[in-house]
Amino acid sequence: MEALYFVPEMLFYVISGLILLSSIMVVAARNPVTSAIFLVVDLFFVAALYAQLDAHFTAAIQVLVYAGAIVVLFVFVIMILNLKPDALRGIRFSLGEALVLLITLAGFVIVGSELARTAPDLTTPGNLGSAAIEMAGGNTYVVAMRMFTAFLWPFEMASVLILLAIVACVMIAKKDKRVTKS
Amino acid sequence: MIPVENYFVLSSLVFLCGLAGVMFRRNLIMVLMSIELMLNAVNIIFVAASRHLAQVDGQIMVLFVITVAACEAAVGLAMVIALFRRYGTVNTEFLRLLRG
Repeated sequence: MEALYFVPEMLFYVISGLILLSSIMVVAARNPVTSAIFLVVDLFFVAALYAQLDAHFTAAIQVLVYAGAIVVLFVFVIMILNLKPDALRGIRFSLGEALVLLITLAGFVIVGSELARTAPDLTTPGNLGSAAIEMAGGNTYVVAMRMFTAFLWPFEMASVLILLAIVACVMIAKKDKRVTKS
Repeated sequence: MIPVENYFVLSSLVFLCGLAGVMFRRNLIMVLMSIELMLNAVNIIFVAASRHLAQVDGQIMVLFVITVAACEAAVGLAMVIALFRRYGTVNTEFLRLLRG
């Protein structure tokens, strides 16, 4: 642990490289199951990045919900549909699509340079730096205190959204009698 | 201390990967996975900015984004199943109901 703690910069570059590699593999793999496995790898390394940024609770939720629940759902559906690997012949680099990628990249560069120009000064950080969070009882405690005071209303709305999603899933995916009969 | 710009570059590249997947893949499930990739790229920015600005609001936003992503994946996969049952394919080239 001590050895890892002394090289956070190197660790960041290693984790970033692995995130990039696995996200390219998610997009480029022919077999959907391979893509799902690389999605798990990608999400795990992003969780590692969160842990390195002292966002411990977010890292735990990332592994639990994203890698644990969502990707399992994907794998389940791939299994149900019994998908074959893509032929990958549908990939054509049309001019319009390449243009969309380029314009998005240009947008990122513009937004990034504007952010760098107008970002708040690092010498006057907010009141919840790593040391202050450590003093206040840890990342999870501070996030919970903030969430159940300032963000209580959005939190309740999120539960309503989940309820809506459950009802919608059941309605959409259930067998339609009229369709199967005809 | 890693500068916040590095996280921005990483997030942009992951987002572009996801965008390329949405545009170039013809399999609906792959499109949904690429959307998850893009949401995840945004989350990286949120957490890095939360650390940079010494607040926890960004991390709370990430929790909401994860909630929305879970709902979106569930509803999207239910739609994939319904489409597969109806048309027998999940290839976007053959699903052209709205294409006129």
